[in-house]
Amino acid sequence: MRERVLIVDDHVGFRRLARRLLQAIGHEVVGEAGTGAEALSESRRLKPDLVLLDIQLPDLDGLAVAARLSLEPEPPAVVLISSRDAADYGPRLLDCGARGFIAKADLSAESLVALLRA
Amino acid sequence: MTTLQRRIIQAGALAMIALACFSEVKFTILPGGGVVWELSPDWYGALVYIVPGSSFVLAGLIAWSLRPRNRVGLLMMGVGVGLLAGDALLQHSVGQVSRPAEVLLDFVSPLWAVVLIHLLLAFPGGRLVSRLDRVVVRSFYAVVPLAALLAVVAGYPGGLGRISQPVFDIEVPAAGSIYLACLVIGSALVIRRWFLGGHARRRSMSPVFWPMVPITVFFVLATAAVLGGSFTVLATVFPLLLVALPVGCLIGLLRSELDMSSVGDLVVKLSGGLAPEQLQPALAQALHDPSLEVAYWLPAQEWFADLEGRRIELPTGDSERAVSVLGDPASPVAALVFDSSLVDEGQLIDTAAAAVHLALQNARLQVQLRAQLEEVRQSRARLVEAADSERQRVERDLHDGAQQQLVTLLLSLQDTKTEAMRRSDLETATLIDANIAALREALGELRELARGIHPTILTQAGLVPAIRSLTERCPIPVEVTGELGDARLAPPLEAALYFVVSEAITNAVKYSKGRRMCVSLGRSSGLAVVEVSDDGVGGADLSVGSGLRGLTDRVAAVGGRLIIRSDHTGGTTIHAEVPCA
Repeated sequence: MRERVLIVDDHVGFRRLARRLLQAIGHEVVGEAGTGAEALSESRRLKPDLVLLDIQLPDLDGLAVAARLSLEPEPPAVVLISSRDAADYGPRLLDCGARGFIAKADLSAESLVALLRA
Repeated sequence: MTTLQRRIIQAGALAMIALACFSEVKFTILPGGGVVWELSPDWYGALVYIVPGSSFVLAGLIAWSLRPRNRVGLLMMGVGVGLLAGDALLQHSVGQVSRPAEVLLDFVSPLWAVVLIHLLLAFPGGRLVSRLDRVVVRSFYAVVPLAALLAVVAGYPGGLGRISQPVFDIEVPAAGSIYLACLVIGSALVIRRWFLGGHARRRSMSPVFWPMVPITVFFVLATAAVLGGSFTVLATVFPLLLVALPVGCLIGLLRSELDMSSVGDLVVKLSGGLAPEQLQPALAQALHDPSLEVAYWLPAQEWFADLEGRRIELPTGDSERAVSVLGDPASPVAALVFDSSLVDEGQLIDTAAAAVHLALQNARLQVQLRAQLEEVRQSRARLVEAADSERQRVERDLHDGAQQQLVTLLLSLQDTKTEAMRRSDLETATLIDANIAALREALGELRELARGIHPTILTQAGLVPAIRSLTERCPIPVEVTGELGDARLAPPLEAALYFVVSEAITNAVKYSKGRRMCVSLGRSSGLAVVEVSDDGVGGADLSVGSGLRGLTDRVAAVGGRLIIRSDHTGGTTIHAEVPCA
């Protein structure tokens, strides 16, 4: 299924690679954001199906952004990403309302598809 | 005040008593040269004024000679003069006072009650300490003569301040209401002072407070008697009640002289040897002020501290607490902080301070040492905290810098590999794959390095998840028991306990040859406790290597302690506890 995706990461290089990856597996990247505040406003404006959300952002914590997005009237699915491991965040990952987590080093078409299908 | 002035006042006061007494006696010189005397028809009514008035004046004279600088004596004489003036007004009713004197007495007479309130609020120091008391008493001195003027203008002179009739029984209700309001407010302030004061204040006020209670009740009953018509009986009892007040004042002042004997007890205690922590209670007992505190001067820090070396701010200004600095003001030994009711017991305080001077100097050395130790402890805690912050910064830099770039490079390589495969360039794809594997390995090592510097999960999720994360990666099975409560500990405490567990697990894996481990957590009585035990061969030794020694220092830096039990039969247990709120 073709998903409309918003990529949130403060590294332009990573956003470019993620865009190519998502497009390669048939998704439509509808927008990009570099901060938590931008993520919230762009999500409200673009209404994506999926938000690929980095945890470490310059303003808001990605976990806090995910929690706020989950309270929206039509919340998008959120996949959290980080250069750290899931173990580094402990139970906070489970409580933020995100669909799942992928370490950036493990980010691939397969891992993303597997997570979205789960 | 000069000696002559004092003598004039004393003689004037005595003359007033004599005048009041002789005014009740009528002398007649007989033609044969003899003298006969008879009491005035209203002599009984005059006693109502003369007895308490004379008592106040005489007691005031004694108090003034005992404590010339204390205003209590003068205030007592003021009350007495006011009451004797009331007697003079009574004489006016039988035509013995001239018109100008009568007008003067109309204004002076009612002031006796105001001076009495002033006396009760200022006892035993003679000064009004509270600003509220000062404002109210000054306003009474202004308002009561005005009320008297109101009564005079209304054609009812001499009505206010007379204790031989109810306040409301005068024929000018406005003046009577003002006067009564002043009396009620004044009594309320005295009661307030009693209830707000500590043990020392109540002790010093008690000789005047308790006699004041039936007097206040009298006023209430006197007001009620307007309706009941039984005032005469109460008016007979009232002078006796009033006499108790000057007696109480004298007792209060004399008692402080007797208190000097308690300093003798203090000296006896000192000769038996008093530990520094016993000095404050001994001084508090000697000065009858349980709230007394001793503040030691620390020359290096230039502040006062308690026995534990913690800084103390001395009270200043309009406070119910007073301070006496002992020793040279430029470099004092200590300061006594006590209830302000003891301010006028200067001699008592000086004597007690002189008795404990040497002991205070010794105690100060101990306080100085404790303060220095506390400073060292705080400095060590700051160093550990700074080191932790630095570790956290390095870990963050590794993640946000090197690791982020390597991850981006990894994804880029994966992208290139996908492109190579799309072009069926399998050789290039294989080469890229090898590079990806090497890069993943480097990333893993970098991640472990960063985790060792400072674990992110500790900052993100807290101590318990961080310990569970540690145990999950441990090659030996580790059971985690207990809880540390919902509230997180302060970051330095979490870091100290985390590194204890981390080091203990690392050591156990390396050296213990154990088959299982247990981490138990607990929080009670203001302590957070973590204990790591294994069933290995034991032999952990603080003196060998720097790991355990460093942990001990680290735990001590946050005010905790580390205990290691290790023997060849029971494995090793590392117990760490830190104080927490």
